[in-house]
Amino acid sequence: MNRPSLVGRRNFLKGAGLSLALPFMDSLASVALKAKPPVRLAFMYMPHGVIMNQFWPKSQEEFLNSPPSIIQSLKPIMDQCLMMKGISGVPINPFNGAPHALELSTWLTGRLPNADSRNRINISISADQIMANYVGAQTLLPSLELATMPQTWKENQEGLHEGYYNYCSFRSPTQPMPAETDPRNVLNRLFGKRGKEGKVTQANPLDRQMLDRVLGGARDLRRTLTKGDQQKLDEYLDSVRSLERRIAAIETRQQEAAFEKNGVRPSHRHATESAPIEVKIPEGDKRSEYMEVMCDLTILAFQTDTTRVSSYVGSRPNGASYPELGFSNQHHSQTHYGSDQEKIRKVAAINKFHVDRFAYMVKKMHTLKEGDGTLLDNCIMMWGSGLEDGNKHRRENLPFIIAGKGGGSINTGRFLSNIKGNQGDLLTTLLSCAGIPLDRPVGIATKQILEIKA
Amino acid sequence: MRPPRIFRLLSADTVARGCALILALASSYVAGAEGEGLDEEALRADARETFKKKVGPFVKAYCTKCHGGGRAKANISFEVALKAPGRGAAFQHWKKAVANVKVHDMPPKEDVQKVPTEEERRQFAEWIDKLKYLAPRDPGPFVIRRLTPVEYGNTLRDLYGLDPSIADKLPEEVVGEGYLNSISPLQSELFLELANKVVEQVVVPEGKAPTAVQKRLFGEAPPQGSDLRKAARKVARSLARDAYRRPPTEGELDVLVDIFDLARENDLDYTASLGLMLKAVLVSPQFLFITPAGEVESGERIVRVDDHRLASRLSYLLWSTPPDAELAALADEGELSKPETLRTQVERLLRHPRSRALFDSFGAQWLRVNDLERQVFDPDLFPQVTPSLREAMMDEPRLFFESIVRENERVIRLVDSDYTFLNETLAKLYDLKQPVSGSTMRRVKLENPNRGGILGMSATLAATSFPNRTSPVNRGVWVLEQILGERLPPPPPDVPELEEQEEKSVEGLTMRQRTELHTTDPVCANCHKVLDPIGFGLENFDAIGRWRDKNDAGVAIDSAGKLPGGRAFSTPAELKRLLAEREADLARNLTERLMAHALGRQLEGYDEVVIDQLMARIAEDDYRVRTIITEVIASYLFTHRRVE
Repeated sequence: MNRPSLVGRRNFLKGAGLSLALPFMDSLASVALKAKPPVRLAFMYMPHGVIMNQFWPKSQEEFLNSPPSIIQSLKPIMDQCLMMKGISGVPINPFNGAPHALELSTWLTGRLPNADSRNRINISISADQIMANYVGAQTLLPSLELATMPQTWKENQEGLHEGYYNYCSFRSPTQPMPAETDPRNVLNRLFGKRGKEGKVTQANPLDRQMLDRVLGGARDLRRTLTKGDQQKLDEYLDSVRSLERRIAAIETRQQEAAFEKNGVRPSHRHATESAPIEVKIPEGDKRSEYMEVMCDLTILAFQTDTTRVSSYVGSRPNGASYPELGFSNQHHSQTHYGSDQEKIRKVAAINKFHVDRFAYMVKKMHTLKEGDGTLLDNCIMMWGSGLEDGNKHRRENLPFIIAGKGGGSINTGRFLSNIKGNQGDLLTTLLSCAGIPLDRPVGIATKQILEIKA
Repeated sequence: MRPPRIFRLLSADTVARGCALILALASSYVAGAEGEGLDEEALRADARETFKKKVGPFVKAYCTKCHGGGRAKANISFEVALKAPGRGAAFQHWKKAVANVKVHDMPPKEDVQKVPTEEERRQFAEWIDKLKYLAPRDPGPFVIRRLTPVEYGNTLRDLYGLDPSIADKLPEEVVGEGYLNSISPLQSELFLELANKVVEQVVVPEGKAPTAVQKRLFGEAPPQGSDLRKAARKVARSLARDAYRRPPTEGELDVLVDIFDLARENDLDYTASLGLMLKAVLVSPQFLFITPAGEVESGERIVRVDDHRLASRLSYLLWSTPPDAELAALADEGELSKPETLRTQVERLLRHPRSRALFDSFGAQWLRVNDLERQVFDPDLFPQVTPSLREAMMDEPRLFFESIVRENERVIRLVDSDYTFLNETLAKLYDLKQPVSGSTMRRVKLENPNRGGILGMSATLAATSFPNRTSPVNRGVWVLEQILGERLPPPPPDVPELEEQEEKSVEGLTMRQRTELHTTDPVCANCHKVLDPIGFGLENFDAIGRWRDKNDAGVAIDSAGKLPGGRAFSTPAELKRLLAEREADLARNLTERLMAHALGRQLEGYDEVVIDQLMARIAEDDYRVRTIITEVIASYLFTHRRVE
C-alpha cells in the first residue's frame, strides 16, 4: 500500500476508497502469505444481576461437569470458557440513587459520569472504543453496536441524563454510540443485503467525495466557535467521517461481490475455512429469535472481518419482559425479590434466557473453522451484567463469563474462585489479551488480572 | 424579586417583609440593564460578607463533619465551595444543600450535636440565595444547537415546499435538561438519506420541466457557452443564504462551487451538479446547527447576539421554523436587535397560528405531557383510552395554553380557570353536564370548580400516573417541581417501588394508607410528608383523569391534604386556589423554564440576577403570560453572549 505520509487529511480521504480496497488486491497476489487471524472482542450485556447461587459454580469440578442451572447451556464447551469470581464494579457514590442507569453506562467505561455536568453525557471512552481506535482502521467498520430493543425508559435519577440508561459504548466522553436495534438495517447497511423494502443501499462514491468537501469546509466554521461548541461540531464531523467510511466499506463489499461472482475468493477466507453463515431475519416477534439473529450478525461481522470489536446490549435496564418464559412481569420488578421464591425463580429464568443466547453464539462460533482452529479460538467473547445482584444493587462480585481463547492469550476451561480486581482491571486485561497496547488503564483499573491470561 | 426558595414554602406575607430591603435595592437597578450598576456592586459585597460571616459558621456547625475535606460523604465537600462560593460548579452544590436542609433531610440527627432550628434553616436558604450576586455579569455563551426533528421538517417545508413528515424517520432526541446535541453516525446517515430524498423531489433531470421549487432555487439555466461556475456560485449564494439562515462567507461558497466542480468532473450535467450542491448544503453543519457567519474581532468579552442568529433563535423558539421573509429582511438590515423592533416581532409571531410550536416544543415538555402519545395504559382497566381520546387528551392542554398566551392572561389562569377545551369524547370522560357533541375541540365554560386549569386535565393527571393506578407521589413531585419550581432532593438509593411492597403487608390498605407507609420510615418521611399530601389532594382523579368518589376497592377517597407550610385543603378545587395564591412562584418558574429552554442551557449564577430583574417587570404587568415570553426574549441573556 502506497500512502504518502504528509498529505492533507482531505487528500487522504479522497483516496480512502482506493486504499481500503488495496489490502484485498494485494493479497490476491499473495494468497500464500497467510498471517495469524486477528483477535476479536465482543461484549454482551444483561441488566440487573444474577441469582448468585444459581450462577456461580462451587468448584472447578462443578464448573466443568455439573454447572449451575443458569450457565447449564455452556456445558458442552466449558473447556472454552472462563469464569472468575471477585471482580467488583465501580462504586457509584455520589449517584447512589441511580444504580440502574450506571450499571449500563459504567459497564465498559469503568468510570462514573462527571458529577458537575451530570445532566449531559460526560463519562469516558469505553473499552470497545479504545480497541476500535487501534484496530478500527483495518476493517470496514471500526466497531459494531447492537441492542435488542430501542430504549424508551426516561428517568433522570440523581439528575443524570437519560442517556445513561441507554448506552454502554462511548466514542468519547461526550459521544455515546447508539446501538442498532433492527437486524434488517444491520444486514442492509453493513453487508449490503436486501432490506425490508427490498432496497439495497447503493454506495455512491460521489456522495463520499461530497461529504469530504463538506468536512473540509467546516474547518473555517470551527474556528469561529467556542470550545464547547467546537466539541459539538466535532461530534457531527466525526459522525460524517464515519459515514464516509461506511460508504467506502460498501463500495469495497460490492467490488468483492463482483470478484466473487467471477470466482475469485476474498482474501480473508481460505478454502478450508467455513463459508460466511447465513443470517435469517425472524418473522415473528420472539425475543429469543431476535437475540439470536443479533448474535448471528456479530458472528458474521467477525467471520468476514467486517469489524473486530462489538458490543451487544441484550437488554437495557428496566422495561423488558419475557413472555416466552411464561410470565409477563418486567425484569426489574422481579429483581427486588427479598425472600420471594417466585420472584427468584423468575429472575433465574431470565438470567438463563440470556446466558442461553450467549451459549448459542459461542457454540456456533466453535463450529466455524478459521486458520488452524475455530473462529471462537481467535475471539474473546464476554458476557456479563452491571450488577452482582439486583435485589440489593450489590456490585462486589460482578457476574462475567468469558468464552474463547483470544488467539491463545486466554487460558480457558477454568473457574477462578477468588480473584481480586475491579471491572476496569478486567477490561484492561481483555484489551491487552486482544493485543491492544495500553497507554492508560480503563476507568478505575489499577492493574491487569494476570490469572486469566494463558 | 424572587423570594428565596424556603420562603416560598411560607406565606406570601412573610415573604414580602423578608424581601423588602432587597426589593428596594433592585427596583432602582431595573432601568439600567445595560450598565454595571452600583447596586450590583453593593449586593455583591453584601453576599461576600454573608458567606464569610453567616454561611461559613453554619456549614462548619452542621455540615463539614461529614462533608468536608477529602473523603467527604456523597462526594459533597464544602471545603472548596466555601473558598470559592461563586464558582459555577459550587452553585449546584449549594442549591442541593438548600433542598436537603429545607426538608430536614440534612443534617441527620444522629450526626450532629443539635439540629438547626426552623429559623436557621430559613436563613440558610436566604443566604444561599445571595450566591447569585457573587457571579460576574455574564450572559453565558451562545450554545450552538442542532435543529430538532420537528424544526428540521419545518425547515424543509419552508425552504423547499416539502411535507414535514419527511423527517419522521429521524429519531427523537433524548432530551434532558442539557439538550443532547450529539449526532451519531446512524443519524448522519439518515440526514444523507433525507438530503437524497429532498433532491429527488425537488430536482428533475434536465430535459424535463423543472419543478416550481427548482425554478425558484436554481433560476433559469444559463445560456449556452456562458460561465457555468459563475452561475453556480450565484445559485450557491442564495441556497446558502436561506439554508444557513445568514449570508454565507466567500469560503463557504468556494466549498459549494468545489462540489459543483466535482459533479461536473464526474460528467453530471449542470442541473444535476446543482443538485449535488444542494445535497451538500443539506448535510452541512451550517444547515443543521444555528451557526455564526464569522467572529467579530471586537475585543469585547460580551457582545450582542448578531441579528441573523437572533432571528433564528427567535423564530425556532416561537415557530420551530427558520426566519420568515420579514425576520430575514430585518436581520439583513440590522434592525431586529433594536428592542422595540424585537418586541414587535415577538407580538407578530405569537399572534400567528404557527406559535403552537411553543407549546409543542416547550409547553408539553414543561408539563411533562410530551410522552402521552406513547404512554402505556392498562387496556383491561382503561379500555376507553382509544386513539381519539388520546388525541383529545393531548390537544386540551395545548389549546388551553395557546388561549392563555393569545389573551395574555395572568399566569394563575394556567392553574385556576373556569374554562377548558373539549370535544365529545373528552366531555364524556369528564362526565360533563353540558351537551358537547362531535370531535371538534371547542372552548367550554366549566361549572365544576374541580376541573379547569392544568391540574384538572386528563393529560397531566395521566402523565403523572402509572399504567394501572394513580401515583400521589408523582403528582406531588409534579406540582412542586413543574408548577411551583421547587427543588427536591432525590430519593435515597435502594428504595423499592410501591409495587414491590410485600403484597401481604399492604393488603386491605387504601392508596393513601399504602403511600403513608413512607411517612413511618424515617429515611423517607422528611420528603414524603411534603410530597404525598399534595398528591392525595388529587386522588379523586383516577389514572386517566376521570372523577371518582371511591377507589377501586370501593373505599371513599379522602382528598384532604396540606401544602408545605401547613395550608390545608379538602378538594382539588381548594388545592388549585391555594396554588393560585402563589402567583409569583408560578410566574418565576415559568420564566426560568422558558429561559433555560430558549438558551438551551441550565441557569446559574448571574442568570438569576437577570431573572430577578425580569420578575420585577413581569410583576408590574400582573404576571401575564405573553409578557413573560416577551421579557424572556427581550432579556439581556437572550440578546447577548459571552465571547470565549
